[in-house]
Amino acid sequence: MNVFLHELKSYRKSTIVWAISIALMTIFFLSLYPSFSSNASLVKKILEGYPEPVRKAFGISIDDITNFLGFYSYVFSYVVLCGAIQAMNYGISAISKEIKLKTADFLMTKPVRRDEILTSKLFASLISLIITDIIYLVTAFITAESVAKESFNIKLFFMISVTLFFVEVIFMSIGVLISAVVGKIKSTISLSLGVVFTFYIIGMLQATLNDKTMKYITPFKYFDAGYIIKNSSYDMTFVIIFLFIVIVSILLSYVFFFKRDIYAV
Amino acid sequence: MNIYLREMKSSRKSLFIWCIAMIAFVAAAMGKYAASSYVSGQSLNDIISQMPEAVKSMFGADRFDLSKAIGFYGAMFIYVVLMAAIHASLIGANIISKEEDDKTAEFLMSKPVSRTKMITSKLLAAITNIAVFNIITMLSSIYFVGYYSKGENVTDNVIRLMVGVLFLQLIFMSLGLCFSAFLKNPKLASPCTVGIMLATYILSLAIDINSHLSGLKYFTPFKYFDAKNLIYGKGFEIIYIVLSILIISVFICVTYVFYKKRDLEI
Repeated sequence: MNVFLHELKSYRKSTIVWAISIALMTIFFLSLYPSFSSNASLVKKILEGYPEPVRKAFGISIDDITNFLGFYSYVFSYVVLCGAIQAMNYGISAISKEIKLKTADFLMTKPVRRDEILTSKLFASLISLIITDIIYLVTAFITAESVAKESFNIKLFFMISVTLFFVEVIFMSIGVLISAVVGKIKSTISLSLGVVFTFYIIGMLQATLNDKTMKYITPFKYFDAGYIIKNSSYDMTFVIIFLFIVIVSILLSYVFFFKRDIYAV
Repeated sequence: MNIYLREMKSSRKSLFIWCIAMIAFVAAAMGKYAASSYVSGQSLNDIISQMPEAVKSMFGADRFDLSKAIGFYGAMFIYVVLMAAIHASLIGANIISKEEDDKTAEFLMSKPVSRTKMITSKLLAAITNIAVFNIITMLSSIYFVGYYSKGENVTDNVIRLMVGVLFLQLIFMSLGLCFSAFLKNPKLASPCTVGIMLATYILSLAIDINSHLSGLKYFTPFKYFDAKNLIYGKGFEIIYIVLSILIISVFICVTYVFYKKRDLEI
């Protein structure tokens, strides 16, 4: 419990900064919607003039981009990017910061087992992420209500928004695994940016090129907003992959962390 | 000289990984071009050309002729720019602040080298890293784009684009250096630099969506060297080159001035 509270306290400042910057970004982007939507009705007309196969090849359906939820899912992809960086940072720093700051031997000599330490650290990161997500969700919803002229499907809005948390959990668990395996991590942020942006760019390539197999590689595409809007449900294959990745990487982190050599100063 | 060599050695591995990643990215993207060019490139261009600006930028496919290799490369180019910006900000922010972070600052400062000299060596090492990154990306782009372009000459275009990237890299590198000299807590240097870099990137996206914001384009380096202008005609705009040189020199001066007086955190 002590480890958990201490950890939560040490994340406090960064949680506040992340939550505020994500919220501001969302307000900024969503407030562009009114001018965008007047433009968008033009596109609708142009697109309707084209035959179905051409539109399919391009990977768009008309309604997807012109209504509010379509615009929201575009904005949301950048929110997820930020959330993923935050989650990866927390995941990687969980173990590596004790080693880097040379506080590991202090912590390990306390009468707490290693698995308890890791569990409290995981929960602390999860709570920080959840707080950020709640702040995001509330701001996004209030902004959405005020900018959207037409009414939008609130259930779908929340189904899309909640996937932020799922993607964050994936990145956090990958981060913990990395920090449990790799000996000494010099800079948390370089590593997390590297990993997150690799997946993000794979995701962008996937969207531009419409390649089906690439979807499986990048967590950014597991909860595709387009799919959610169309079917009002998550794609089960990817939910299973998501659970698999999270469970396996967290289990492996425990295994590695139990056996790892902790260097004393 | 010793500091420079030592710095080059310590960044060797990460530079190698970055370069491999860039080559792989360019190869994968252009390989996809070959696969997608069978899908009637012409009709896609027709659709894209009629869309309003806001929607085009949502697909990241504004005004490029996707049926030509260089146009396709131009559409993918924003990712190259983004990766270069990340690399440069991290190098700039870390190269000075890591001494305090790793608690090696005392050791370094007790050596008979002035702080000015130390910064100069580190600055040169950072510039070398950035240049290697840039050149490797340029060579691999020239090779892969040339390979798919069916005899068209693409070298000039790619070189022009990469010169633009070099300016962008230098801006973010000097921003990182400036933060690590200026901020009290050395740990904050890379988060702040990366934060500002991402904020300007997002601002550049917002400018694409909403044309009313175009007055803000002077605030985001991502808009200084526009791939569209560099490929199709206009070339470099003098104002942006002057602005970048101004920004870079101000940041570097600030680095020297503040680091000389810095109270090291030990």
